[in-house]
Amino acid sequence: MKLEGTNTLPAPIETVWKTINDPEALRRCTPGLDELKEFEPDRYEATLRIGIAAVKGTYKGTLAITDKQAPSHCKLVLQGSGNSGFVRGEGVIDLEPQGDVTLVKWAGDLQVGGLIAGVGQRMLMGVGKMLIGQFFKCLEQQLGQGV
Amino acid sequence: MRHRNTYVPMSTRYFGARITRNEDPALLTGRGLFVDDVRLPAMAHAAVLRSPHAHARIRRIDARRAQAAPGVLAVFVHADLGPLGEPLPKLIPHPSLTYHKTQYALAPDKVRYVGEPVAFVVAESRYAAEDACDQVEVDYEPLPVAAMLEAAAAPGAPRVHDDMDSNVCAHYIQRVGNVEEAFARAPHRFRERFVIDRGASCPMETRGVVAAWDSRSRRLDVWDSTQAPIPIRNGLAEMFGLAEEDVRVIAPDVGGGFGPKVMMFYPEEVLVPLAAMRLGRPVKWIEDRREHLVATNQEREQIHDAEIAVDSDGRILGVRTVFLYDAGAYIPYGLIVPIVASTTLPGPYHIPNYHCEFRAVFTNKTMVSPYRGAGRPHGVFVMERLLDRVARELGLDRAEVRRRNFIQPDEFPYDVGLIYQDNAPLRYDSGNYPGCFDRALELIGYRDWPARQRAARDSGRWLGCGVACYVEGTGIGPYEGARVTVEPSGRVFVATGVGTQGQGHMTSFAQIAADALGVSPREVTVRTGDTGVFGWGTGTFASRAATVAGNAVALAAQAVADKSRTVAASLLEAPPDEIELAGGNAFVRGVPGRSMTLGALARTANPLRFTMPKEWEGPGLEAVRYFTPPQGTFSNGVHACVVEVDIETGQLTVERYAVVHDCGRVINPMILEGQIHGGVAQGLGGAFWEKLAYDDQAQPLSTTLMDYLLPTAAEMPPIEIEHMETPSPLNPLGVKGAGEAGVIPAAAVIAQAVDDALAPLGIQIAQTPLNPNLLWRLITEARRRS
Amino acid sequence: MKPAAFEYHAPDTVEDAVALLEAHGDQAKILAGGQSLVPLMNMRLARPAVIIDINRIHALDYLTPDGDVLRIGALCRQRCVERSAVVEARCPLLSAAIRLIGHVQIRNRGTVVGSLAHADPAAEATAVFAVLGGTITAVGPDGTRTIPADEYFVSYLTTSLDPRELITEARFPVLPPGAGWSWREIARRHGDFALTGVGVVLTARAGTVKNARIGLTGVGPTPARAARAERVLVGRAPSGALWDEAAEAVRAEIDPDDDIHASAEYRRHVAGVLARRALAEAYARTMEAV
Repeated sequence: MKLEGTNTLPAPIETVWKTINDPEALRRCTPGLDELKEFEPDRYEATLRIGIAAVKGTYKGTLAITDKQAPSHCKLVLQGSGNSGFVRGEGVIDLEPQGDVTLVKWAGDLQVGGLIAGVGQRMLMGVGKMLIGQFFKCLEQQLGQGV
Repeated sequence: MRHRNTYVPMSTRYFGARITRNEDPALLTGRGLFVDDVRLPAMAHAAVLRSPHAHARIRRIDARRAQAAPGVLAVFVHADLGPLGEPLPKLIPHPSLTYHKTQYALAPDKVRYVGEPVAFVVAESRYAAEDACDQVEVDYEPLPVAAMLEAAAAPGAPRVHDDMDSNVCAHYIQRVGNVEEAFARAPHRFRERFVIDRGASCPMETRGVVAAWDSRSRRLDVWDSTQAPIPIRNGLAEMFGLAEEDVRVIAPDVGGGFGPKVMMFYPEEVLVPLAAMRLGRPVKWIEDRREHLVATNQEREQIHDAEIAVDSDGRILGVRTVFLYDAGAYIPYGLIVPIVASTTLPGPYHIPNYHCEFRAVFTNKTMVSPYRGAGRPHGVFVMERLLDRVARELGLDRAEVRRRNFIQPDEFPYDVGLIYQDNAPLRYDSGNYPGCFDRALELIGYRDWPARQRAARDSGRWLGCGVACYVEGTGIGPYEGARVTVEPSGRVFVATGVGTQGQGHMTSFAQIAADALGVSPREVTVRTGDTGVFGWGTGTFASRAATVAGNAVALAAQAVADKSRTVAASLLEAPPDEIELAGGNAFVRGVPGRSMTLGALARTANPLRFTMPKEWEGPGLEAVRYFTPPQGTFSNGVHACVVEVDIETGQLTVERYAVVHDCGRVINPMILEGQIHGGVAQGLGGAFWEKLAYDDQAQPLSTTLMDYLLPTAAEMPPIEIEHMETPSPLNPLGVKGAGEAGVIPAAAVIAQAVDDALAPLGIQIAQTPLNPNLLWRLITEARRRS
Repeated sequence: MKPAAFEYHAPDTVEDAVALLEAHGDQAKILAGGQSLVPLMNMRLARPAVIIDINRIHALDYLTPDGDVLRIGALCRQRCVERSAVVEARCPLLSAAIRLIGHVQIRNRGTVVGSLAHADPAAEATAVFAVLGGTITAVGPDGTRTIPADEYFVSYLTTSLDPRELITEARFPVLPPGAGWSWREIARRHGDFALTGVGVVLTARAGTVKNARIGLTGVGPTPARAARAERVLVGRAPSGALWDEAAEAVRAEIDPDDDIHASAEYRRHVAGVLARRALAEAYARTMEAV
């Protein structure tokens, strides 16, 4: 499924760029991200517990940050699998300075397979958008606090 | 005593009677025995680990943690299978099937569809087995996916099988006459693209296998929810190097088959016996619903590029269709479905020139094999939609267009000019197509329809009426057999090789035997589906059981009746042709006092000592007979319906549904009606609800009944059924098949009715199934255009 | 389709249930009707370590009219609400919508409170609760609190309940005297989740709409109140044109999702159609009531 959106983050572009490339910041804003271990530059092993309410799954996989054009463009490539299925996705992030704040444009193609795809169709799209929305909201809060 | 191969019923008291079913008291009070009811001492339970990827290489598979999990007895992967790891048997070869790729018991180095078995876990309970499945580590390398049918057929598509140049595994053309010339000189030609989507059979009972190996006697017993236990028995014997006599396969009560339960083999049908033999304990595997929707064969997906050429009166000059058939990842069952689609398309019409061409295409989706209709719904959808197009374009009434093209009652036998799925010529044996059609039109009130429709539109309701015809090839060979036995108690046993999945064989076959022997059908016990009871037969499929097995029952019962008269003649001192059988007795005609019960005859016919009359030709009242039809026999029917479309929401309601059906002589009208009701329900499901959704990576998206929408009783309209009978001259009973009739024209008749309801908007339905969103979109686009 | 292993408890009192919740937090799930939870467990989409079965807490099985609310205890089955003459008389919107939940077998076990706890985005009970402005009573280790509908639904399957809280009761306001009501939904089959559903409560006097409440299900992560459409209606004269205007306002303020059964576009369109039909029907009922 294709997902895209725009968010405004309350910080200048260099700060936002640093935050997006900081695995600690990513971990703080991704609840359930138990492990994010760099095994190569910009390549991380990750274990993610993700879900809605009672519906939870644990996914093990990798996250790579590629195509870096500081401070305005990068691509995230993730893949993870677990008992509930697997997830594969690519997302492109573009940052635009707007005075004191930064406009974040993101667009991604997320592929979900296995149990979750076969059973969760009714809510998959909405939940996907919501989780990404939560992630950006968290970043927003953190940057707003000057973390 | 001469053997007779013709059936002459002494009475037809029960043939044609609407009696309640022998099998129902047990089934309705929970005393049936389905495969999951089989409970054996020390029985272990299996679960299957299935691929979550549609196409991937298996880089590494590690079952050690699973093997160590609590309660686990064994974990099998492909490397553990030895010679059983080879591709499973090819069922129906065909000269045009160039790549007859078949499935594996467990995926070797690659998975080719979501749901393909990768590991088989046996444990003390199904819970423990599923826990252990979670512990099997599989490292997949995803590969590009051939998901959509047309894209998969195109050159350069990701290849499902590496040793092929493309995904096209068969290319077959059937022709009658000269279609090019017919189209060249035709005043009118109309072309249409039709898309028919994937569907599943979804029987109430999913699949299941139980196997038990007796290592002392070296015998294998298998319970399998299959439609064809005898081929399974023969195949397992060969595969495991056992004598057929040492393998017994029982298809117990089966809760619906509908086609996909005919296979040889599903992976589990091999894995369960293997595990039982290796572990020395009985093993059970029961398919759950989510598995069923990915692991049991599916069907229905085809895309047709069809054309019709007519003269200005709407008479057909030629028909051409070129279509793609989605075979899924493997094609064990061969080309039956597309061949049946090709040979059903001509229907009840004169088609002097015909070109039917298809390509069978591998995709990274579940395997395909026949599902109720088996390609007939597709042929009918194309033909009926083409005729509706002709009617609309030429401004003719759609009923009149059909009338002008019907094969007439005096034209039988009618040679269509094609080869049918049984490799015999497609030759219609009998039928009254115009008569059946007129009766259906009367039933639905077609003559008054325009006025009723206008009145409805004036009150803001969009109602439509549809009428669609079909001819159904049934009763194909090669053969079926039956053994009829009278026991000393007087009870009659009928054993036959076909299995039963709800068709009422325990009753209809009993009715046939009862008439021949002069007993009540309640005194006849029918045993089916057990290779230990009757070991010759091919299975229940293609609407053939009543015709082929039914006639075998009739011949065997007749032979037992003849012998009863011979034995009675010796004992009652009268010539055999003066002996009558009635009420469970044999008596001398006109002298009811001189009689013996059939049971007493049976006892007497089996003496312990002394000599036996030579004319008895052996002991007991028992005979085995086979029926080998020379070709199929052709049923036909017409469905008609009235629908309402909610113009604002696209919601569709079926207000009335009528079926006029001709399957030759009817054994039990109530059972026949049940068959039609069930078929109509599945047909309507395929017209408006049931679609197996896959995404563009061939991930199945509708794997529960929440998303794969089976119509419930609340969605079903009342169904009106009328029978006509044009007996078949091809078998002694004059019967034809009826099992698939209900489903065949349903999508076509609904499409026509929807077009009719929305006629002011000029909508032309060319796909199935429909849904409210789609109808609303078509309505909105049509309004925008006008 | 067998669930993963879990610990099972069947407390007899609310206190015991809450103590278990406090001990296990978000590792535990409450089992009442189980009509949503058990399928999730069987498919292993949910693997709660602990199940707290409250079916022995008989004190929670009640349906009590109390002034201008109906108090529905946590164990009150949907079928009981469906067949209740009191509900039919005082809150017919709830009667009508409950009837459309699944099938009789499901309603025989499923509970109204369970449906609210589960918070499926396309459920009927949640939308009726939202449109009537009900309240939840939740008991936790820190005591008892009430949560009004507009603070209760957070997202897909997510409410503002703390994992250590047990809902003991839901209160549904009865319809005001003279109010008209309507529930309209589109579902693929009888008993399915609604593709889109609309509930309306309307009061009118002397040819003017006095009060309007419009709630929707199946158009987003939670049941939605069409506040803008409600404001369009108040103080206006009922007419077909007014219902059309309100329907357009409904369309403008919802943001539905796509799924394999219907597109966002379709849901948005049908929400307006159903709103219009529901408003007309609700208004006709007010005329009857007067």
